[in-house]
Amino acid sequence: MKEKSAQFRVIENKSLEVSGSFEIFNAKGELLKSEGPIYLCRCGLSENKPFCDGKHKNSGFTG
Amino acid sequence: MEDPRNRQYTNDEITVFWKPAKCVHATTCFRELIEVFNPGRRPWVDMSAASTQRIIEVTDKCPTDAIVWKYNKDLSENELQASTSTSEEVNPETLSTDPETKPAKVTIMKDGPIVVEGEFKVIDSNGNELKSMIMTSFCRCGGSHSMPYCDGRHRKIGFNDKK
Ligand code: FES
Ligand code: FES
Repeated sequence: MKEKSAQFRVIENKSLEVSGSFEIFNAKGELLKSEGPIYLCRCGLSENKPFCDGKHKNSGFTG
Repeated sequence: MEDPRNRQYTNDEITVFWKPAKCVHATTCFRELIEVFNPGRRPWVDMSAASTQRIIEVTDKCPTDAIVWKYNKDLSENELQASTSTSEEVNPETLSTDPETKPAKVTIMKDGPIVVEGEFKVIDSNGNELKSMIMTSFCRCGGSHSMPYCDGRHRKIGFNDKK
């Protein structure tokens, strides 16, 4: 079966949900994850970057 | 024959030429100067967003010469004419790649955005599906003024992965 193409869902005032067929690398080119769904931090505040750890809550982040 | 997708962008000193056929999405241009080269925007090149010197510097780093530049005074007659014509805009996002579904490649840039290349779709915060793209970069610093995409502000606000 052909895998579903990757999907990026912007969750309002929160993270970015990544699902489908994807591979995530860090800046050094090391593979971090290839199975979803995963949630990437968009607010800049997570202490577990690049993943969301809930810190967007009550931070006033909008977008 | 000239590729009809070729584009050129001008300020009062230089003209930057973009040849999509040569673009291999090295992402050098927008990693270094997203204010000028922003694949999430149309037109994707904004010649007013940085100094001529800086645009030359970054243009010269393109590994495949998909972007090159010339002084306006050195333009040929044809090139001069093309500068003033307007036609439908393409950009690195809308270029087609191989038909086969490959996993989208997602790269977390150091102190910068989430860069996505390949086959993928984007759903906005209202649940609308945006046109499929070939390449884009999402803001990760929380500071962009054109959410959800990176507009280069991570540098101005000193976004740091360690914090
Ligand atoms: S988006 Fe959830 S911690 Fe940043
Ligand atoms: S990561 Fe570039 S503006 Fe936020």
